[in-house]
Amino acid sequence: MLEMLRQYISAYVALTGEEFAVLADKLVVREFDRRQLLVRVGEVEEYLSFIIKGLARMYFLKGKTEMITHIAKEGELIGSSSSFLSGKPSYYHVETLEPCTVLSITRANLERAYQESPKIEKLGRLVTTYFVLQKEEWELECMRLDTRERFLRFIGNNPELLTRVPQKYLASYLNMKPETFSRLKNHIKKRPVAGRP
Amino acid sequence: MAYSAATYQAALEKLHHYLQGHAPMTRHEFRQMEPFLEIREFDKRVRVIHEGEVERYLNVVAWGLARKYLPVRNKEITIQLASEGHMIHSELSFHYRVPSRAVVETIEPTVFFSISYDSLEQLYEQIPGFERLGRLMITDLFIKSDNRYFNQLRKSTRERFLEYVRNHPDMVQRVPQKYLASFLNIKPETFSRLKHLTRGKGAKERG
Repeated sequence: MLEMLRQYISAYVALTGEEFAVLADKLVVREFDRRQLLVRVGEVEEYLSFIIKGLARMYFLKGKTEMITHIAKEGELIGSSSSFLSGKPSYYHVETLEPCTVLSITRANLERAYQESPKIEKLGRLVTTYFVLQKEEWELECMRLDTRERFLRFIGNNPELLTRVPQKYLASYLNMKPETFSRLKNHIKKRPVAGRP
Repeated sequence: MAYSAATYQAALEKLHHYLQGHAPMTRHEFRQMEPFLEIREFDKRVRVIHEGEVERYLNVVAWGLARKYLPVRNKEITIQLASEGHMIHSELSFHYRVPSRAVVETIEPTVFFSISYDSLEQLYEQIPGFERLGRLMITDLFIKSDNRYFNQLRKSTRERFLEYVRNHPDMVQRVPQKYLASFLNIKPETFSRLKHLTRGKGAKERG
C-alpha cells in the first residue's frame, strides 16, 4: 500500500526513508463501500486521500442535476481539495463509485509533517501546483475543444474508465448530454480511436 | 517610462506587504529574494506573452492592470484579471515549459515584479522558508480558481454579476466592460442590462 504512495510521490520529490516515514506515520487507512460519501456539501473536508483501490467522484447539485467535476481512480488523490486547503465548507460531495481503500491524512497532521520536513513542504507545494495546473488545463480544454474532441481526448487518456464508470456520469463529467455521449461512443466502436495526438 | 529609486523602493514595500499576507516574512528574508526579482514595465494594451511562446516569468503586478485570455475561434475569452498585488502569468506554459495557449496583455500601463523560472528554482533551493511562501501562495491561487470555477457552473448570470460587483467595485470601474463580461461568462448585452439595473436600484445587495 505504502509502496504505491511512494511511487506517486517520487514523481514530485525524492524522499529519504526517514522523510517518507514522517508522512507515513501520520496516515490512516480508510475503507468504504460503494456509494458512500467521504464528505458532503457544507461539511469541512478533514482529509486528503490517496486511492489504493477503487473509484470515486466529486459532484454538486444544480437544481436536480448532478454536476460531476472530478473522477479519481487508483494512484490518484481524492477529496474536496479546496475545502481541505481552506478549512471552509465543501461545495462538493465526494462519493465512492466502487468499494474504496484510501490512505488519508488530516489537515492538522499534514501541517505537522510540513513543520517536520522541508522536503514534505516542497511536496505540498508541488502537488498544489499540480492541482492548479490540472484545473486550468481542464478549463482550457472545455473552452478550446468541441464536444467530440473532448470525448476523444478523454477516452484516449482514460480508456478503462469507459467500462468502470456509469455512462451518465462520464457524460456529466464531460459536460455533454447522455445522448451525445452514447452517440459518440457508438461511433468509436465502429472505428477504434488511437490515443490522443 | 522610467522609475525613480524612490518609486522602486515604494513598490518593493508593497510587494513585501503583499507577500506578508500569505506568510510571515522578515525584512531580512525579503532582502534575500530581492536580487532574484526583475522589474518590467509595459504600456497599456501590450501583449506580455503571446500564444505559442514559452512563458519565462511569473509576474506580480506592482502597478496597473492586466488580463489573461485565450484566443478561441476568433474570440478572446478572458480567464483572469489581475490588479496590484496579484499574480498573473501563463501558468501551464511556465511550469511545464511548453508553448503558451494563453495570452497575457496589459489593460493599463503596468509594472511587474517578475521572476524567471530558473531564478524561482534557485530561490527555493537557497532560501529556506521560501518553500512555505510558495506553497501558501499557490494554495491561495487554487482556492480562488476553484471558487471561480464553481461559481461559473453553479450560479446564475445575475448572481455572478452581483457577487463580482459587490466584491470588486474598483475593478468594475477600471476594466473595460467587454473584458469583464467575458471573464464572468456573461453576454455583453446582458452585462449592460445588469449594470443599468443595479444603477437604477442603487446597487442594492442581495440578502
